[in-house]
Amino acid sequence: MLVLQRFILLTAVHFSCNKITQSIEAEKLKKTYFNKYEAESFNASLLWGVFITLALTFISWHFREVLTPNNILLVYLLGVFFVALRFGFWPSILASLTIIPTFAYFIAPPIFSLTINDPEYISGLMILLGVATITSNLAKDIRHKAYMAEQREWRTSALYNLSKELAEARKESEIIEIGVRHIQAEFGVRNTFIFPDDSYFEQFPITQSLDNPPLWVANLNMAEWVFNHGQVVGKGTNNFPNENAIYVPMNGSTGIIGVLALDAINLSKDFLSKKRPLLDTYMYQIAHTLERANSVELAKNATLKMQAETLRNSLLSSISHDLRNPLATIVGAACTLEMDEDRLDKISRKKLVSIINEEAQRMSDLTIKILEMARLEAGEVVLNRQWYAVEEIIGSALRRLDKNLKTRPVNIQLEINLPLIYIDAVLLQQVIVNLLDNANKYSPELCPIDISVVTTVNTLVISVVDRGFGIPEEFHIKIFDKFFRVNEESAQSGVGLGLSICRAIVEAHGGEIKVSNRSGGGSHFEFNLPFLECPPIIDLEEKELML
Amino acid sequence: MKTNQPLILLIEDDPQFQMLLFTTLENQDYRVLTTTTGETGLIAVRNQKPSLLILDLGLPDIDGQDVICRLRKWSETPIIVLSARNQESQITLALDNGADDYLTKPFSTAVLLSRIKALLRRIAKTPSSHQEVFQIGDIKIELTKRRIYVGENLVSLTPIEFNLLSILIRHAGFVVTHRQLLEKVWGPSYVEHNHYLRIYMGQLRHKLEADPARPKYLLTEAGVGYRLSEGEGI
Repeated sequence: MLVLQRFILLTAVHFSCNKITQSIEAEKLKKTYFNKYEAESFNASLLWGVFITLALTFISWHFREVLTPNNILLVYLLGVFFVALRFGFWPSILASLTIIPTFAYFIAPPIFSLTINDPEYISGLMILLGVATITSNLAKDIRHKAYMAEQREWRTSALYNLSKELAEARKESEIIEIGVRHIQAEFGVRNTFIFPDDSYFEQFPITQSLDNPPLWVANLNMAEWVFNHGQVVGKGTNNFPNENAIYVPMNGSTGIIGVLALDAINLSKDFLSKKRPLLDTYMYQIAHTLERANSVELAKNATLKMQAETLRNSLLSSISHDLRNPLATIVGAACTLEMDEDRLDKISRKKLVSIINEEAQRMSDLTIKILEMARLEAGEVVLNRQWYAVEEIIGSALRRLDKNLKTRPVNIQLEINLPLIYIDAVLLQQVIVNLLDNANKYSPELCPIDISVVTTVNTLVISVVDRGFGIPEEFHIKIFDKFFRVNEESAQSGVGLGLSICRAIVEAHGGEIKVSNRSGGGSHFEFNLPFLECPPIIDLEEKELML
Repeated sequence: MKTNQPLILLIEDDPQFQMLLFTTLENQDYRVLTTTTGETGLIAVRNQKPSLLILDLGLPDIDGQDVICRLRKWSETPIIVLSARNQESQITLALDNGADDYLTKPFSTAVLLSRIKALLRRIAKTPSSHQEVFQIGDIKIELTKRRIYVGENLVSLTPIEFNLLSILIRHAGFVVTHRQLLEKVWGPSYVEHNHYLRIYMGQLRHKLEADPARPKYLLTEAGVGYRLSEGEGI
C-alpha cells in the first residue's frame, strides 16, 4: 500500500540559511502589501476621514464669499468620495458624519452655531449623507474586487513559483523541502510532511524547521489516524479540535500518500474554511510531483529488475546445461561401476574412472568460475594489492595450466627491466589463466600462443595472442558480457564467464581489456594496468661475488 | 601388521570427504585416525602422537588457526592444512602460525600423497639435518662452501640471493610464506616489504632457471609464498 519508499530516511534536508531568509522576507513583503487594504491600520484611516473633512472645511471657509453652501456640500461629497476610495467604507462614513456638525457650525448660516435655518441646506446635507453612503458602499466593492484581484495575482505567482521549483526537483527529499518552504511562506505556519515508512510513520523534515523555535514535533499517532481515515483533524475541525495542530491528508492518484501537519498555535479557528482550497491546490501540486518522481524511480527499478531477471535466466540455463551434463555422466559412470563391478574388464573400468575424473574437474572449474564471478559482482572482493613482478605471475599462471597446455608452445616476450606493479597477484593470475585457457581451447593444437608484456608511459600492457579462429568483429565488445558465447552449442565446455571475470578484475585494477583480430588469423587479447604509484626503491646490495 | 607405518591424524568434519581421504590413505598403507572436531583432534595428537596431521581449516567447534597455534606450543607434528579456494590470507596465516603445507579443495589425491611423503621424509631426515650438498634437478648447492652449480657451471650469487636460496633449499618441496622469507633473510622489520622478495626472486630465477618466465624450480604460489620444487611431479 505504501507507494512512497522510505525516502524520508534517505535524506535529511538541511535548509540553507539563504533559503530561510528568502522565504521569510517574501512573507513580510506580502503582509505589508496586503495590509494597505486590510483593516489593520483601521484607526489611522478613521483619523484620515475626520482630517480630510476638517481640511475641506478650512479651505471652504476661505472661499465662503464665492461659494454657496450648496457648492461646498459638493466639495464635501468629493472629499467623502476620495476617502471612500482611498481608505474604505468606515472612514468615509465617519467623514460624512463629521461633515454634519462642521457644515452646520462653519458653513450653513447662522455661522458658529449648530443650527441650520435654511431647510434647503438640511435637505442638501441629507442628500449628501445618502450619496456618501452609496458611494462608500460602491467604493468598498471596488476595493474588495481590486484586493481579490491582487490576491489572486499573488497566489498565481506563488503557485507558479511553487510549480516551477517543483518541476526542477528530482529527488523526493527536494520536493518535500520545497513544499514545506512554500507552505510556510504562503500560509505563515510551520509545517511538516509525514509519510508512512514500511512499518511506522516518519516525519519530514527531520532536521530543523524553517523557524525558531526548532521543529515542532507532530503527533505521529494523529497522522496515522488521518492516513487511515482520510479526514482532516485538529484545530477548527470536528475531530480532535483541542489539538494545537491541523492534519490534512494528502491525496495522490492511488489514494492517500501522506499527511501534512500544520502548527496551529497561531492560526485562527476559521483558517481551514478560508484557506482550504488554496492549501489543497498546494498539496495537489506537491503530491503530483512526488508521484511523478516516484514513478520515475519505479520505472528505473523495473528496468534493473528486468536486467537482473535476464541475467538470472541465462545463469540458470548455463548452469542447467553445463553442470547437468557432467553430472549426468558422473552419476552414470559411477552407477555402472557400482553395479557391474565384476563384469567390467580392467580397461573399461579405467575408462569410466577417468571419465568421472574429467567431468568432475570440469564441474569444479565451472563452479569456481560462477562463484568467482558472484564474488566479484557482489563487490565482496577487496584487492590485496602488493608489489609484484609480472614475469612471476605469468610463470605461475602457466604452471597452473601445465596439464591443459601439454606440449603447446608458448612464447613469452618481456620488455627488459619491467618495473614492479602494484596489483592483486591472485586475481591477476586468474586473468592470465583465463586468457591462456581460452587461447588453448579455441586454437588448433600445436599453434603457438604468444604472451608479451610492454610498458607505455603510464601503463603496463599484457597481450595474449593465438592463431585460433578469431572472434567475429561484431562480438568484440559482447564477448566480455556474462554468459555470452560466440557459439552457444560449441563442443568446448564453458559458461561464458571467463572473460567477464577478466574484465571485472582488470577494471577493478583501473585498467581496460579488449580484443582485436590478429592479422593472419587468430585473436589478440590485450589488457593494461595503470601504474598508480612509483615502485618502491630498494637498497641495492653491493654485488659481492660468491666464490 | 601396519604398526610400523606412520600414523596420520585427519581432522575433517565432512563425512564423505573424510571417508575419501581415509580410504586413500589406508590404501597407501598409512595408519589413519580420524576426528571431526578441533578439540578431539588436539587430544588425539597428545595421546596418539601421530607422525602427521591433516587439518581442515573450517571446523565446527574451533577455528583451524587456533588448533595450529595451540598445537605449536607443545608439538612439532607436521601439519598440512586443507582450505577452500580464495582464502589465500587464511592459508598464509596458517603457514605463518606454523602449518607446514597446504592444499586447496578440490585437489587431486596424488598431490596430497606426494606432499605427505615429502613431509614424512623431512622428519625422517631431521636428526641429521647437517646435509651439505643438495642436488635438485640441474642445480647443485654446496651449503658450507657456498657454491652453486647449474649443470657444470658455477653461478655467482650475492649474499642475499644465497640466503634466500638456502632457506628455500631447507624447505625444499614446501611452501615458504613471504613473511617467513622476509623475516629470515632481511629481518623482522622487513616483513611488509614484499617488493624486496620480488626483485631478488627475479634475480635468482634469471641466474638459475633455463626459462625464468616458466620456472621449473623456484615456483610462485600466488598470494602465499614460494616453493622450491624438488623436481617433476609436484
